[in-house]
Amino acid sequence: MSELSAAWHPIASSEDLPYRHVFHGQLLGREFAVWRADDGNVNVWENRCLHRGVRLSIGINEGAELKCQYHGWRYANRTAGCTYIPAHPADAPARRITNRTYPVIEFAGLVWSAAGAADAFVEPLQEADWFALRPIPVTATPEMVRDKVVAAAEPGSEPVRLTEFGYSMKLAGGRGEDAAVFIQPVDAGRAVIRALLPETPAQPLATLRHYNALLNALREQIERTAREAPAPEPIEPEYEPVSLELATMPELRLGTRTSIRVRVARKYDAGEGVIGLDLAALEGHLPTFQPGAHIDVHLPNGLVRQYSITNGPGEQLHYGIGVKREPESRGGSSTIAEAVREGDLLAISEPRNNFPLRRDATRTTLIAGGIGITPLLAMAKNLFGSRLEFDFHVFARSQQHLPFADALERFGDHVSPHIGLDAAETGRTLEEIVGSYSFARHLYVCGPAPMLELVRALAARNGWPDEAVHFEYFKNTREIDQSSSFTVELARSALTLEVPAGRTILEVLRENGVEAPSSCEQGACGTCLTKVLEGTPDHQDVYLNETEKQANASMLTCVSRSLSDKLVLDI
Amino acid sequence: MITLYDFELSGNCYKPRLLMSILGLTYETVPVDFYPGREHKSEAFLKLNPFGELPVLVDDGLVLRDSQAILIYLASKYDKTGQWYPLSDPAVLAEIAIWHDFANRITATASAARLGLSMFYDVDIEAAQAGAHQLFRLLDEHLWFGEREGRDWLCAPSHPTTADIACFPYVALSEEAGVPRQDYPAIRRWLDRVKRIPGFTVMSGVFPAGPAIEA
Repeated sequence: MSELSAAWHPIASSEDLPYRHVFHGQLLGREFAVWRADDGNVNVWENRCLHRGVRLSIGINEGAELKCQYHGWRYANRTAGCTYIPAHPADAPARRITNRTYPVIEFAGLVWSAAGAADAFVEPLQEADWFALRPIPVTATPEMVRDKVVAAAEPGSEPVRLTEFGYSMKLAGGRGEDAAVFIQPVDAGRAVIRALLPETPAQPLATLRHYNALLNALREQIERTAREAPAPEPIEPEYEPVSLELATMPELRLGTRTSIRVRVARKYDAGEGVIGLDLAALEGHLPTFQPGAHIDVHLPNGLVRQYSITNGPGEQLHYGIGVKREPESRGGSSTIAEAVREGDLLAISEPRNNFPLRRDATRTTLIAGGIGITPLLAMAKNLFGSRLEFDFHVFARSQQHLPFADALERFGDHVSPHIGLDAAETGRTLEEIVGSYSFARHLYVCGPAPMLELVRALAARNGWPDEAVHFEYFKNTREIDQSSSFTVELARSALTLEVPAGRTILEVLRENGVEAPSSCEQGACGTCLTKVLEGTPDHQDVYLNETEKQANASMLTCVSRSLSDKLVLDI
Repeated sequence: MITLYDFELSGNCYKPRLLMSILGLTYETVPVDFYPGREHKSEAFLKLNPFGELPVLVDDGLVLRDSQAILIYLASKYDKTGQWYPLSDPAVLAEIAIWHDFANRITATASAARLGLSMFYDVDIEAAQAGAHQLFRLLDEHLWFGEREGRDWLCAPSHPTTADIACFPYVALSEEAGVPRQDYPAIRRWLDRVKRIPGFTVMSGVFPAGPAIEA
């Protein structure tokens, strides 16, 4: 069976996969959930939710994600990576939660896949206007079905073998066409006859009915013979362990690792002073991301910058980012503006999400200032696609400065642009938008620091709890006080380290061989967030909210220090 | 007020619930302990329905039994669109009668196997399952050619009728009868279409579909 599992077989007709439907397939004992995303891509996945094993073929095809019917886990188009777990609405799912995918090719009106690591796909037929007949499932061994099909050739004609389970042949009682007939080996005792005619017949319906009757009669005959022998035991597929890449814990130093290479597929003007970049996978697709996620981009001049992914759900062939041209660029935006061209290769990190979107809000309010629109654009696409209630407020200096104006159009009434307001007008408008808190509302804001401070202050004044107000700063503009010195105990590593004035905890960890994740290293992105077991941190970041800072249960090791002589960290 | 004598897990009781939900009718239910209490064979219930079967619908003093008869009554009396049981179209009425009969055959096979498996009824489960597969083959073929002919529903009109409501429940519940629908892709697509009828409601074992793609 090992050779057979590397071979490509048809598992469905293309027309079996209308949009927003999940087809239930099977090949050599392996069950598949097969679904077409709204972008046309066909997904062939193991028919099993990673959570409780429920069949994904009864799940809901939402167009860009497949949602399990049982507890609502969502998996992304193309990658099959989990994007949302309703029981953990505030968290980004671990990247290891990725379903098994199978290879897929649509060819000649059929969907082809393989039950294991597949050989290269060799077109078993010439390109033609192949016309799929109604597939006929047969309860008999695939070998018997194949032999009986071959025996059903027009007398005097000679079937030509196309594949292990496929023949070009004239069917007895047919209309003389050289049909291509493939036998899909579903299981040890089940098969599907999938036949194609070389062109669309003059009378399609009559021809379909004619062959349907012919193949139905053939099925009756095969099954009559098959019933004489006991049915074979179903195949028990051997499920290989998950790939090493997924099974191992991710490397911690993702922040400084250039793990993925991408090609600049498009560089465009995304509004006054804003450069849009589409960073495309060199082959296949890019890793699963969730709305709010960012990547580190390694620039040709050696600088590393963080940019939010603007993509909608299931868009996995490229990451779209937006870069604001800063007049006082320290080398990040100016390099992108001047040195990066379409076709260039860049190194990026895997996406990380420290700004996850909850999908359990009765109403979500998104507030974007300028280029702060980027993570919120991904959120809006997600909320819009799932028909969730949201309003999206975008502040810009002028209509020309409105970033990604084209992308905003599809949201219709959900979007309110606020153009050219002065500080006082902005304050009044934000006050109206924030309004008073009501249960299960969530607020997401990204933009310049003064705007974030104002929104957070307004929200606090109007009764919004900290956990309902989500924010992401571009950068930490606070002056970092590095004058303290203290001891750090690493509870898991059984190490005690001294942090002198002028050095960060993160630096001291790395100097002592302790790997730790980081990204922006200025207290804005949250990647180095660490649990505090004892001691009082001196919070100097703009990532944690006030409640989190007061709880003293976590800290950012890149900028924050200690008020107590000793900190015990869960590292 | 319409009163439905109802058992939550019964597909036949689900038929009138489904149609009344689609038609936006309000009704009350009287739960009948079909299993394990066998209340449908109790003296009190037999007075209501001497056949000892669910569902029973009472409306304005009229007592009706037989799920398809109830669908005909509800659609004829309450459906203002006249689509669900088009009284003025003899050809469609005849078509509907054929599929109401088909629904009874599904009950005799798929539902019987489910009763055997989940409520320990004394039935030949294998024979019932084989019978269900025979019917599903016919149904899948009918629906597959329907898609080619531009017909989304069981009968000719461009909208669903009581025929679709009558056949839906025990097809949708067939996994509980040990009758997988993997071999019937056109049936699976039709189930999605029924689930997208405005006003559709679920029962235990019947899962909702997501919205269709917007044109």
